[in-house]
Amino acid sequence: MNAIEESLPIFAKQIDNARRQSEEAILALSTRFRGIVTSLDAAVAASEKGSGDGGRDLVGAMEDGKRQLLKVVEALEAVRSGRAALIEEIRLLAAHTRELGDMAQEVELIAFKTNMLSLNAAIEAAHADGDVGRGFAVVAQEVRQLSVESRETGKTIGRKISVISDALRHIVGVNEQAVAAEDAAVKDSEMRIASVLGHFGGMTERLLHSAENFRNESEVIKDAVMDSMVQLQFQDRVGQILSHVVGSLGDLAATAGASDDSGATEAGGGGASDYMAKLVRTYTTDEQRRIHDGTAAVAVAPQAAEFF
Amino acid sequence: MAKRILIVDDSASVRQVAGMALTRAGYEVVEAVDGEDGVSKLTGKLHLIISDVNMPRLDGIGFLKAVKANSSYKFTPVIMLTTEAGEDKKNEGRAAGAKAWIIKPFQPQTLIDAVAKLVLA
Repeated sequence: MNAIEESLPIFAKQIDNARRQSEEAILALSTRFRGIVTSLDAAVAASEKGSGDGGRDLVGAMEDGKRQLLKVVEALEAVRSGRAALIEEIRLLAAHTRELGDMAQEVELIAFKTNMLSLNAAIEAAHADGDVGRGFAVVAQEVRQLSVESRETGKTIGRKISVISDALRHIVGVNEQAVAAEDAAVKDSEMRIASVLGHFGGMTERLLHSAENFRNESEVIKDAVMDSMVQLQFQDRVGQILSHVVGSLGDLAATAGASDDSGATEAGGGGASDYMAKLVRTYTTDEQRRIHDGTAAVAVAPQAAEFF
Repeated sequence: MAKRILIVDDSASVRQVAGMALTRAGYEVVEAVDGEDGVSKLTGKLHLIISDVNMPRLDGIGFLKAVKANSSYKFTPVIMLTTEAGEDKKNEGRAAGAKAWIIKPFQPQTLIDAVAKLVLA
């Protein structure tokens, strides 16, 4: 056995060993890449779920919150409007009490006039003689008593109306203060709600923007990783080429051995041509054929599918 | 329900790239490491088969012939995914019943588009 016969199987084993190591390393790398893509997919899905179907749930929740808070303001505004209407009713009532006050004064005036009339009647009774004069004096006295009582009643009515008027003015004053306070509260609530909604709106927008950035960046990373995985396909081609080299080295060793046995000094004659023919026949890639023909090997770019 | 696709390739990294691309596109993927393994995986409903050509034990053309000889799968479309660019081999695949030929390295989208076209057809 010459050096070529002895070394060829060793070369074949060395190349095959290198091919296996390369294949194992590429597979490990590809597995890691696949894990990265799967993790990114899970992270993007979690991000979409967290911000609610691309953020629509979050925006919907914000809009719902805004509607609910505006209803609170509307309720406050309704209370304020109701109180303002009540003040108007009380003001109308106060106007009626003024008329009642005037009527009470008129009662007093009538009583005064009646009193004057009774005084004149008493004088006329004094001028009359006998029983007629006495009877007329009694009637004049009773009329005077009635006028005094009427005047007192008129004054009492006036005082009561005054008390009621004061009470109504007080009620109106207190209510006007309450309306002013409620007005301020409604405005303050509107301002605070607008501020809170603005704050949360800003946060929501930043959150959505951040989630979108994350998803976009994740897509870029995934594309890069996927592209790297595509590039790793070189291993399949290299593996096939090296396997072919290993197989061919085995064939060469056999051919060389056969030549030795037949007394030839080198691999030549029919053995060599058969060997070379098999070499060409068993190529699986274009670059193997190009190299064999002495043409420069070119990198194979991904191509479109060919349909039959 | 996801459509099932059988990928037959002796290269684990190719099975990974193709499998991941198809899984992400919504397909269910079954893997086989060579033609013989592929024949043993011819069970249940398969909507499409993707096969390498140069594989140990039973090569892609042999596997393709086995698929077409099986009455349950004779109409299942088969895509050959291979480094083999020679016209002779391509014609051999066409004659054996392959529907498409994709040369490695491939872009995942090229494979997904071809699968979508043939699964619908």
